[in-house]
Amino acid sequence: MEDPLSPLMTAIASGDRAALAGLYQRLEKPVYRFIQSKLNDPHESADILHDVFMDVWRSAGRFEGRSKVQTWVFGIAWRKVIDLRRKSGRMDLPGETPDIADEHVDTEAAVLAGQEAVHVRHCLGELGDEHRMAISLAFYEDMAYGQIAEVAGVPEGTIKTRIYHAKKLLLRCLSGRVTREARA
Amino acid sequence: MAREDIEALLPFYANGTLSDAERAEVEAALAEDPSLDLELSVLRAMRENLQSEEPGSPGEFGLARLMREVDREARAQPRAPARGIPVRFWQVAAALALVALVAQSLFLFDSRAPDYRLAGEADGQIVVAFDPEATEADIRALLNGLGLEIVGGPSALGLYELADPAGEVTEADLEALRGAPQVESADRND
Repeated sequence: MEDPLSPLMTAIASGDRAALAGLYQRLEKPVYRFIQSKLNDPHESADILHDVFMDVWRSAGRFEGRSKVQTWVFGIAWRKVIDLRRKSGRMDLPGETPDIADEHVDTEAAVLAGQEAVHVRHCLGELGDEHRMAISLAFYEDMAYGQIAEVAGVPEGTIKTRIYHAKKLLLRCLSGRVTREARA
Repeated sequence: MAREDIEALLPFYANGTLSDAERAEVEAALAEDPSLDLELSVLRAMRENLQSEEPGSPGEFGLARLMREVDREARAQPRAPARGIPVRFWQVAAALALVALVAQSLFLFDSRAPDYRLAGEADGQIVVAFDPEATEADIRALLNGLGLEIVGGPSALGLYELADPAGEVTEADLEALRGAPQVESADRND
């Protein structure tokens, strides 16, 4: 099935400003949400979003259609976020995995916490960059693991591993939130 | 498939992006292991929660900003040619267009009528430097008296161009300007 955003990219490559506006209107919210989930700073996120679409405008001619347009645009956003976080010294260590082997997780408590936005946001914020990125794209954007691997520029197996660890951390965090509330 | 592999696929089962084969494997594991089913409930609740958030994105303001920069960039630097057309082609085309433009300009320059005048091109204009102490009222009185108008300036050096709307500035007017206390210097703009 043809990517519905593909004709917009073709038009943008030939200098069509209306097509750029069309793509912006289609992807602005999810791309902004993705950036904001990494930076947690609305001004910085708005600047990065702007830079992403300027990159799209400048380099649309280099889009070869080997991935979905959405994946390509998220890839640009991810690289910009990583660059910014590296420059500002806020990047987590790559490949960082949690030590969670002996932690008891009350999954039923986690189910309850998972229904509360405040707990979900808190626990997502506790994850490292790469884990949070994978979970964000899986849950906010409903991306397949293959697509997330393309955005991140890593093998699919790496994304599965990150998702596995991210899920463990989230369950532990959510469970802990409810257990602490119950004790208090 | 190992339990860890199934667990890694659970979020993608929750978001509906697995292949048929992978989905069948996960469903078989879910049927055998109630704890996996509980985990799936957490993941579904999280996904639902996150997707219900409405991001406070820049929206139309962001789009206006984007379009402003696109315009600014287009003015500063013409857009690169579309992919697939060699840059060399555009260079040759631009050179030919330039040659044609120059040839056309020369033709127009040579063939224009004797009274044809380009914008900014004028005969008999005077360039003056006013006395720094002269007030606007002094200068206005002088120019009104001579029937002259300021048509250009001030330049970076503070010079003004004067012209007579009725025709060429006369020698008498030029001498009057040179003798006026409001004027430091006055010369024809030849």
